[in-house]
Amino acid sequence: MSAHSLLIAPFETLAFMRGALVAVIALALANGAVGTLLTLRRMSLDADVLGHAVMPGAAVGFLYAGPSPTWLSLGGLLSGLAVAALAGIGADTRARQESGLVAFYLVALSLGVLLVAWRGSNVDIMRVLFGTVLAIDQRALWQIAAAASIILLAVAVLYRPLAVSSFDPAFLRMVGARAPYGAIFAALVVLALVANFQSFGTLLAVGPMLLPAAAARCWGLGVAASMALAIGFGMLAGVAGLLVSYHANVPSGPAIVLAAGLLFGTSLIGARALRHAATLLGGSI
Amino acid sequence: MALEAVSGVFEPGSLTAIVGPNGAGKSTLLAAIAGVVRLARGRIERPPTERLAYLPQQAALARDYPLTVLELVTLGGWREYGPFRAPPAFMRARAVEAATTIGLTERLGRRIGQLSVGELQRALFARLILQDAAVILLDEPLAAVDAQTTTVLLDQIARWHQEGRTVIAVLHDLDLVRQRFPTTVALARRCLAWGATEAALPALAA
Repeated sequence: MSAHSLLIAPFETLAFMRGALVAVIALALANGAVGTLLTLRRMSLDADVLGHAVMPGAAVGFLYAGPSPTWLSLGGLLSGLAVAALAGIGADTRARQESGLVAFYLVALSLGVLLVAWRGSNVDIMRVLFGTVLAIDQRALWQIAAAASIILLAVAVLYRPLAVSSFDPAFLRMVGARAPYGAIFAALVVLALVANFQSFGTLLAVGPMLLPAAAARCWGLGVAASMALAIGFGMLAGVAGLLVSYHANVPSGPAIVLAAGLLFGTSLIGARALRHAATLLGGSI
Repeated sequence: MALEAVSGVFEPGSLTAIVGPNGAGKSTLLAAIAGVVRLARGRIERPPTERLAYLPQQAALARDYPLTVLELVTLGGWREYGPFRAPPAFMRARAVEAATTIGLTERLGRRIGQLSVGELQRALFARLILQDAAVILLDEPLAAVDAQTTTVLLDQIARWHQEGRTVIAVLHDLDLVRQRFPTTVALARRCLAWGATEAALPALAA
C-alpha cells in the first residue's frame, strides 16, 4: 500500500472524511487553547463534570427535535452553563466538593441516557455517548467553526487576565481586575465541550481537550508555546485517529482519543528521557 | 476564623507587626483589611482611593505555572498597563531594577517553580515594589526563609517605611518585632494590646 493510498486517498475520495478532517482541525484549535488553560488551572475534573453536564440538555434537545445538531448543541450549552453556575465552577473562592461533583455527573449521565432511550434507539444512545465525527454535516461544521472562532478570539483577548487568574487570583483582584474571569473561562469550557460533543459524545468530549494539552505540558514550555504544541498534537491525533478508524474500520471518536492518549504517554516518557539525557550531558561537560 | 473586639487605628506611614499564637486570627485580620474576606460584623475604614497591596502566604500561589521571575515581577505594574496589553518596556526595566534592589538579578530568567522559598519571596517583594502601594499588607513574609533573605526583606520593609508607606505584617519572631517594628497589635481571637511594641508585647506573655 502506497503512502498516498494510506494517508491521502481516504480524504480525497470521501466527502465525510473531509468533513471529519475539517472538524478535527477546527476542534484542535479550540481544544489546544482551552485545554492548556484547563491543565494550568487544575480544572481537569471540573471539565469532566461539565462534559457530562452537557448530556441532559442535549438529550432534551434530542427529544424535542431528534438528532439535529443545532438543538443538541443548544440544549447542551444551556444545561452545561446552568451546571457551571450552580456548582460554582470557575468561582475563584470555591471550597472544592469533589464527591458532590462526581455524584452530580453520574446523575446527569444517567438522566441523559434515560431521556434519549425514552424516544430514541440504541444507535442514538451510542451517538450521544461516543459521538459520530464521521457523520458531521455542513451545519454541524459551521457550528464547530463558529464555536472554535469565538473561543480562540476570547482566549486571545483575555489571555493575560486568564493566565494570571490561573496562578494568583488574589493578586488579580488586588490590582482591581474584578471581572469574573473564572466564570468566563468556565463558559468557554462549556462552549468547547458542546463543540466536541457532536464528534466525541458526552463520554469522550473531554479527551481531545485534555490529552493533547497534557501531552504538551510535559515538555516544560511557556504557556503560549504549550498551547501551540497542544494544537499541533490535537491535529495530529485527529488525523491519525481518522485514518486508523478508516483503515481498521473502528469507531473514529475513540480512535482519535486513543491517538491523543498515545501522544500523552510518549510525551511523558520522552520528556523524562530528554531531561535525563540533558543531566547526563551537563554532568560530563 | 473568629475574631472579635478588635478596634484600632493604623496611622498613615506606620510600621506595625501583628503577633499572636496560631489560630489567633492574625491572617484573618490582614485579609479583612485587604478586603478579601467579608466581615460578619464590624467595619474597616480607609481612604477609598488609596492603593493597597496584599501578600498572602505562599500556599496561595500555584508554583508549577510556567512563568519567569521577570514576568512575575513585571505584573506588579499591572494597574499601569491593564489586562489587555503586554507590559511596556519601561515596566520591564522597573522590574529589573526592583529585582536588583532585592538581590534577585541572576534569577530573572528562571521559572518561578525553580526558585527556593526565599527566592520566591524576594520575587514577590520585587513585585510589591512595582505595585507602588500606600498600604502594604504582608502575611508571614518571613516564614521558611533563610537568614540572609530575612535581612534583605526586613531592609525592604524599612525602606517602605522610610518612603512613608503604611506597612502591616503578620510575624512570629518576637525578637525581630522588637528590633524592627515600632507598633504592635497582639491578638488571641480578640485584641490583647494595640500600641507601641514595648508596651504591647508583654500582653502576649500574660
